[in-house]
Amino acid sequence: MRPTREPRVTLDDLLEVVLNKGAVLHLDLIVAVADIPLIGVSIRAAVAGMETMLEYGMMRDWDEATRAWAERSVVRRALDLREDEGVVRRMSGGHLLTEGVYHGWRPGTVYLTDQRLVVLRAEPREILWQTELSGVRSVRLKPERTVGGEDRLRLELTLADGRRELLSAKEPETLCDLITRACAGHLAPALPPGPVTDVEPPLAEGHLWYQEPRRSGPVWRGGTARLTSGGLTWKSPLDARPALVLPTADLAGVRRVPGHGPAGEGSVLVVTTAGGEDVRLAAGDPGLWVRRLEAARPVVAAG
Amino acid sequence: MTEHSALYVYALLPDRQGAADGVTGLDGRPVRLAGVPGTGLAALVHDAAPAPFQGGDDEVRRWVAEQSRAVTTVWERVGGLLPMTFNVLVAADPESGRSAEQCLGDWIREEHDSITGRLEALSGRCELRVEITLDRAAVTGGDPVDGTPADDADGRSPGMRRLLAKQREQRERHTAGELADALHATIRRRLLAVAEDVRDRAFTRRTADETGVLSAALLVRHEDVDAVGAVLSEARAGRPGLGIRFLGPWPPYSFADSPQEEHAEPA
Repeated sequence: MRPTREPRVTLDDLLEVVLNKGAVLHLDLIVAVADIPLIGVSIRAAVAGMETMLEYGMMRDWDEATRAWAERSVVRRALDLREDEGVVRRMSGGHLLTEGVYHGWRPGTVYLTDQRLVVLRAEPREILWQTELSGVRSVRLKPERTVGGEDRLRLELTLADGRRELLSAKEPETLCDLITRACAGHLAPALPPGPVTDVEPPLAEGHLWYQEPRRSGPVWRGGTARLTSGGLTWKSPLDARPALVLPTADLAGVRRVPGHGPAGEGSVLVVTTAGGEDVRLAAGDPGLWVRRLEAARPVVAAG
Repeated sequence: MTEHSALYVYALLPDRQGAADGVTGLDGRPVRLAGVPGTGLAALVHDAAPAPFQGGDDEVRRWVAEQSRAVTTVWERVGGLLPMTFNVLVAADPESGRSAEQCLGDWIREEHDSITGRLEALSGRCELRVEITLDRAAVTGGDPVDGTPADDADGRSPGMRRLLAKQREQRERHTAGELADALHATIRRRLLAVAEDVRDRAFTRRTADETGVLSAALLVRHEDVDAVGAVLSEARAGRPGLGIRFLGPWPPYSFADSPQEEHAEPA
């Protein structure tokens, strides 16, 4: 195949590339663009400002297509949507963390999608809390007095396992209403039991480093490894799909190797594939991952 | 502020005389190289009012095409540059009395090492874009999955039929998703054997019947463009239902900033 840059074919791509990429001068004297609610802004430089504008409805005057485009580019940076997932509403808010030693509100952005309710913090990026909508049993508004003595409406969610979670939101009534409706849709006519749609629960899941082979030399990347009875996958939060997919039948061997890895001295393990290739991984708990992978490996008939 | 007290910046590049001759940018404005003495560097600019370009979708599309054309022309002449995003403007500094060109020059002098380093890393390389999708009908063969009596419409309410159809669609998505994961891992590895860097991008085109496999910008040496094409041809030949868009070569917009992966460390 040969690449094309025929403008009629590539203009949309070019638009995304030029508006969304390219270097930005980190220079005080650049004309400020963040305040201008038009597409003619340096989107990359103004992306933080744009998120705020979206949240506070400052872009209502944008035409529908422009707004949708902006929303897509912001949301993509923010929340990793699943293949068939769509954002219903996003607004600033937070989650009350009550587990462990820390007890307190953690601010972020609340996303209601057609599948999940997620509280995401942008910097540093972390999903602070999330639930599948199918796991929400009820939602109600609950007044709470803040430290400053103001009365605020919070959202209290009761989950299928009986736990209660408290969320804050910029527009609590709106969000409560939307969640109620979204969940009503889920609870309504019960689906006949479907055999394949349930995703198999993993045997193990956790942070792992993967040494990705590249032409310019291998690179250690951080991401999430997932071990199921079907095999091992590893996915970076920066990629849409896993960069490593090893079916169980391909897991020929696993061993720890000496040396320094991104998770420290002695953190590196090598998985040998059935084809004889070595895949290098590193973990904070390499011993545990070796045991897990050993256990998942196809059993060789005793002879 | 005077009408043209600012500079619209298209790119940073090695100061090569004549590189911008005859090139026009936004609204047909002639662009020029603003050289920074002592650095060997220049900025591709034109004079502009100190206000961003704003307009409707069509106008922005035209501007982006014009910016791209100007940057690409100069890039092809010079061999390497750092492209800027849309609407990067440098204004004059009334406090110190410095003109926009002086401000930009001072900044380039300060950042000389990192700019030069990035230019060297990108020199002789281009950006290609690859979008690979999987036609779900080709994966499932269009046949209903076992146990789903799709045509057994009798005796079922319209609501139930709709639910069953939805279930079937979910199963198809799931099957296609698993296949896409495996294809993604394989193709990504093959591409990285010829490309020097890769950045995941959003899909610009995908229909409802397609599952996205891989959408990425690749940083590739000019002489390796054909090798990327060969990887894609092979992938397409091996899997019916695979749709591939292969775009470029463009200046390395997606790689103009320093490497993105915070945790990446050369092994």
